[in-house]
Amino acid sequence: MKLVAIIDATVKLPGLEDLTLYRSAASIPFAGRYRLIDFTLSNIVNSGITSVGVFPSYPFVSLMDHIGRGKSWDLDRRKDGLFFLPVSTKDSGQMSVGGFAALEEHMVFFERSRQEYAVITNCFTVSQIDYEDMLESHIESGADVTEAVSNGQPLRSYILKRSLLIEFLKNYRQNQVFSVEDCVRRKKSSYKFGVYEYEGYCAVIDSIDSYFKASMDLLEPEKRNALFLPERPIYTKVKDEPPTRYMKGSSVKRALVANGSTIRGTVVDSIISRAVVIKENTKADHCIIMQKCTIEENCDLAYVIADKNVFIEAGTVLKGTAEEPIVLRKGERILKEEVR
Amino acid sequence: MKNKVVAMLLAGGQGSRLKSLTYNIAKPAIPFGGKYRIIDFPLSNCVNSEIHTVGVLTQYQPHMLHRYIGLGTPWDLDRRNGGVTMLTPYAEMDGIKWYNGTANAIYQNLTYLMEQDPEYVLILSGDHIYKMDYQKMLEFHKSHKADATISVIEVPWGEASRFGIMNTDEDMNVTEFVEKPKEPESNLASMGVYIFNWQKLKKYLTIDDGNENSSHDFGKNIIPLMLEAGEKLVAYPFKGYWKDVGTVESLWEANMDLLDAHSGLNLHDPGWRIFSSNRQLPPQVVTETGELQEVFVNEGCVIEGKAEKSIIFQEVHIEQGASLYECVVMNCVVIGAGAKLARTIIPPDLVIPKNFEMGDPEGEIILLTQEMIDEWKESAEV
Repeated sequence: MKLVAIIDATVKLPGLEDLTLYRSAASIPFAGRYRLIDFTLSNIVNSGITSVGVFPSYPFVSLMDHIGRGKSWDLDRRKDGLFFLPVSTKDSGQMSVGGFAALEEHMVFFERSRQEYAVITNCFTVSQIDYEDMLESHIESGADVTEAVSNGQPLRSYILKRSLLIEFLKNYRQNQVFSVEDCVRRKKSSYKFGVYEYEGYCAVIDSIDSYFKASMDLLEPEKRNALFLPERPIYTKVKDEPPTRYMKGSSVKRALVANGSTIRGTVVDSIISRAVVIKENTKADHCIIMQKCTIEENCDLAYVIADKNVFIEAGTVLKGTAEEPIVLRKGERILKEEVR
Repeated sequence: MKNKVVAMLLAGGQGSRLKSLTYNIAKPAIPFGGKYRIIDFPLSNCVNSEIHTVGVLTQYQPHMLHRYIGLGTPWDLDRRNGGVTMLTPYAEMDGIKWYNGTANAIYQNLTYLMEQDPEYVLILSGDHIYKMDYQKMLEFHKSHKADATISVIEVPWGEASRFGIMNTDEDMNVTEFVEKPKEPESNLASMGVYIFNWQKLKKYLTIDDGNENSSHDFGKNIIPLMLEAGEKLVAYPFKGYWKDVGTVESLWEANMDLLDAHSGLNLHDPGWRIFSSNRQLPPQVVTETGELQEVFVNEGCVIEGKAEKSIIFQEVHIEQGASLYECVVMNCVVIGAGAKLARTIIPPDLVIPKNFEMGDPEGEIILLTQEMIDEWKESAEV
């Protein structure tokens, strides 16, 4: 394989603040049993890439815990494999992908890699992009830097020669170009820029709005089947949850449900993560309930995003809207009285 | 290491009473409970009991089991010291020796045990569904200063004649072992779980091997031999769920027990996880027309039809208008639109045709086969 992959997990997404207080955007839970980075990492390994550098900035404990040494993606290798390369906080918090100041901190990684080309990507795009195909297009076009786009929307993933990337890293201060994305946007220099048209499913998740929409998209069979392809599986950290229990009196329609949950109430148009408990006479409509949440009896929830470990007291009514879903932060305890 | 325990898991059984389910795989590899295989239970019990050296003895159709267990990673048994070791019959200078009886299988692996040099050997079988802390049994074994301890469970008196029964005195000393007694004197059934002091086990396995008339079975030969020699054998009374899933009916019952909150078999207990090799599959989907009541569903399923009191394994597709009642649907099965099944175990990968009907909500338990589907198709064409 001629590609080394770089996942830039330092990019800040202000629109997702409620979900990134304690974690990097890369480890935001998505689709019931995944974290956002799973899609990027799976695309990388499904494209045959065996060497991956993950560049996170603080807080990255949750991300580190999730990917470990990369075993779930078959990246725990003696040769190549996964490299976890944290970036010091002083230069993080950038807004564009492939920031040179961040990458520069691990210059050795780029110098020691053997691959001729590098793909620089982010961890907030959910897609089934094939980087091998993108590389072919890059080589054919003779471009110096190729950007992936989908229906005119930039996917903020780039392929270039590793030697060119090293050149960028050495000269960026002098040239006043601060990231790969910056370089592509400005198109100032004498380089040739190419475009790779990606045609499959994709969602760029950079706000609560896009997070909610992309989640609800998964309830539509065509979109879901375009994202979950049997021949290109999405890998994630394995948990030992038992199957989900649908108890007597429960009613579940148009829902995506992960393992380990116990459902006694009503769930419609919703995403339910692992080990969630939904008790009797409770209704969740257009909700995203993340792992280990407990929703007690007689609650009525609509358009609610509940982050991990949220507890909702019996009898609570919470109604958001499609435009403005209510976001409950990780570990929050929602008491009936407070909602009033 | 002092107090070292090595578990020897007997997983070579064919389980012929489970018919088509064991044509190609050994009984311990049979799928159970929506995502597990039977062998996950003793293996998980071992690691939850902090026993990290496990020999798995295989003989009948071992490939599936070997591939499934691999290095033992899902059970955290991929270890530098100990871990899981697959023990199959092997060839020696004087020929290939197949395992002939449970005791003989252990005898033929004395070399493995000598290398491990344990203090205690725990003998397990790979065809029971139960959650058990073997450390508690070991404590009992030590405090009774026993040479061997046999785990027993109280069974209904009426069923006692189906089991190997331990007769004991008041202090739980075993006085006699009777295999399937016509008139049982006790209702303490052997669970096929034994702890031996290693040196004693070695001694009696060697004596037994010299006896040409022995059937080399723990219950029939080793236990009586030790009793005769005056060794101290005690019965450890186990309280909790335990089921031998040796027949189609008992396999179905054990699956249904998962749906009964009072059965004592709870898989949703984070304190005693059952570990398993997890496939990487998307979450399950329930559509507009899906209807689930008292059902277990694993990942990768698409539910468009109706299911009640059933266990649904991974990657099952229930099409619209299909309905299931008290069924066990194993992985990758497709239930065609309008099909109706009750009290049926559906083995992996079967494709149930549209409008197929099988089973009675009050009737006997059926193990579905491809032949039965083919027959139904032929009769439907006529």
